[in-house]
Amino acid sequence: MPLGVMEMELFFQQIVNGLVLGSIYSLVALGITLIYGIMQLPNFAHGHLYMLGAYLTLWMMTIYGFRYWTAILVSVAALFLIGMLLERLVFRPLHNAPHINSMIAAVGVMLFLEAVARKLWGSDYRRLDSPYGEVISVFGVTITQQRVIIIVAAIILMIGLNLFLKRTVIGSTIEAMAQNREGAFLVGIDANKVSLLTFGIAAGLAAAAASLAAPINLVYPSMGAMVNLKAFVIIVLGGMGSIPGAVIGGYILGLAESISGTYINSEYKDLVAFVILILILTVKPTGLFAKEAR
Amino acid sequence: MLKLIDVSVKYGSYEALHSINLHLNEGELVVLLGANGAGKSTIFRTISGLLQPSTGHIHFMGQSIGGWSPDRIVKAGIAQCPEGRKLFLDMSVLKNLILGGYVHRKDKAGTARMLKQIFELFPILYDKKDQAAGSLSGGQQQMVAIARALMAKPKLLLLDEPSVGLAPLVVEQMFETIAEINRNGTSVLLAEQNAYAALQIAHRGYLIENGRLVLEGSSSKLRNNEEVKRAYIGA
Ligand SMILES: Nc1ncnc2c1ncn2[C@@H]1O[C@H](COP(=O)(O)OP(=O)(O)OP(=O)(O)O)[C@@H](O)[C@H]1O
Ligand SMILES: [Mg+2]
Repeated sequence: MPLGVMEMELFFQQIVNGLVLGSIYSLVALGITLIYGIMQLPNFAHGHLYMLGAYLTLWMMTIYGFRYWTAILVSVAALFLIGMLLERLVFRPLHNAPHINSMIAAVGVMLFLEAVARKLWGSDYRRLDSPYGEVISVFGVTITQQRVIIIVAAIILMIGLNLFLKRTVIGSTIEAMAQNREGAFLVGIDANKVSLLTFGIAAGLAAAAASLAAPINLVYPSMGAMVNLKAFVIIVLGGMGSIPGAVIGGYILGLAESISGTYINSEYKDLVAFVILILILTVKPTGLFAKEAR
Repeated sequence: MLKLIDVSVKYGSYEALHSINLHLNEGELVVLLGANGAGKSTIFRTISGLLQPSTGHIHFMGQSIGGWSPDRIVKAGIAQCPEGRKLFLDMSVLKNLILGGYVHRKDKAGTARMLKQIFELFPILYDKKDQAAGSLSGGQQQMVAIARALMAKPKLLLLDEPSVGLAPLVVEQMFETIAEINRNGTSVLLAEQNAYAALQIAHRGYLIENGRLVLEGSSSKLRNNEEVKRAYIGA
């Protein structure tokens, strides 16, 4: 095979890998940005909800023998409830307190969830065996079925979320509150209900992302920290509270990591996020899709 | 219908309203006159539940609504077109209106009827219904804000300076529309600096200065009051 073709194939392979990574990042960042949009709360515990989602899926499969998709559904539903519980028990009581209190509470939740995971599942690194391990090859690019599933499922989830936000009245209340908080109150939207729903959806998305990624990554109690850091880089990159920003930012980071990992040095892969962070903070601190200040 | 009894409101330690006593009877159009910073918006925000009174009571249709959340107050029948409009700028005009009817969301037919009425009242909004609210001119956005409040089918409509920033001709139309809304059975509390136009359509009025109500009376009484004339009508 001529060198040029091989290089092209390697390049496309990295694009595909980048899309897989980006799909996961986007789903996590979407949740953070939704919560930020309506509550101006940077939910530092989000990565740990992601971790919890991965463990629940793993648990359902290994202990209860659930099939992969059933396990994911249970995990997403459980995280939806846990997200709402967090809002109700931790963040709502702090709503009128200074902002810093909620941030500290989020850090507290993070430590708590990690401790719970260690207690329940130990500190070992685990792997979730996907029923979709088969490798397929398209135009010289090889990809496991699981990775195809990640890309496709993420797109379906994003389209679904978009339809929910744009086409349903309940979904619109989330957007309304993000666009004009007082305006939302004045049309009779119940802020508490919207916050509850948003937390549920965000946590559910994190669980979906984690369950999709579990077969290609390892599952361990502190796995949430790195995902969280990257998701925050993404929403700073995309613009705090911006939904398209979270999606596009997620794919940008995924692709940047994958490509630099191949062409520069894979050991620096996790560094890419922070280089992007520094660049964006110097060049355009409001992010790519920042909303106009009003 | 609406009664404020000794209502005081604070921003932190600064008291913006001092012992306000104000009432509005069913079917009335009452105007609240006052200079910048007098406290008009503060009264409106307090009635809508965005601010809580530090002392005093607010009664609406026989219920004590002081301390209620804003959404509960909208459900009880008070809608506000606020200062600064507070529209959902990235959403279409139609969606802003539909969200205006949020408290009646289960009544699809009623919402459709209300939309039809709104478009008869503001034909221009029908032409612009699919455009983002933020892309409309200031006057058109003001119409969206009033229309959005009307979509809640309020028993009492609070209008905070609806004429601000509008061309004189549009202001005239706006006041005609407000009078018409009132004739159709909605009680209206209107904050205005445009005293001349407001007193022409109002039944009664209050004058507020530095967080205190200093004058109350029929429109003709206020129109002939020397202080009002000097400060707000420029005669
Ligand atoms: N968020 C706030 N924090 C502190 N003080 C405020 C706040 N909003 C208003 N005030 C103060 O309360 C007083 C009344 O303000 P308010 O907005 O009610 O006046 P207004 O009559 O509506 O004026 P305008 O005609 O300019 O809209 C003013 O002295 C203002 O400085
Ligand atoms: Mg005002």
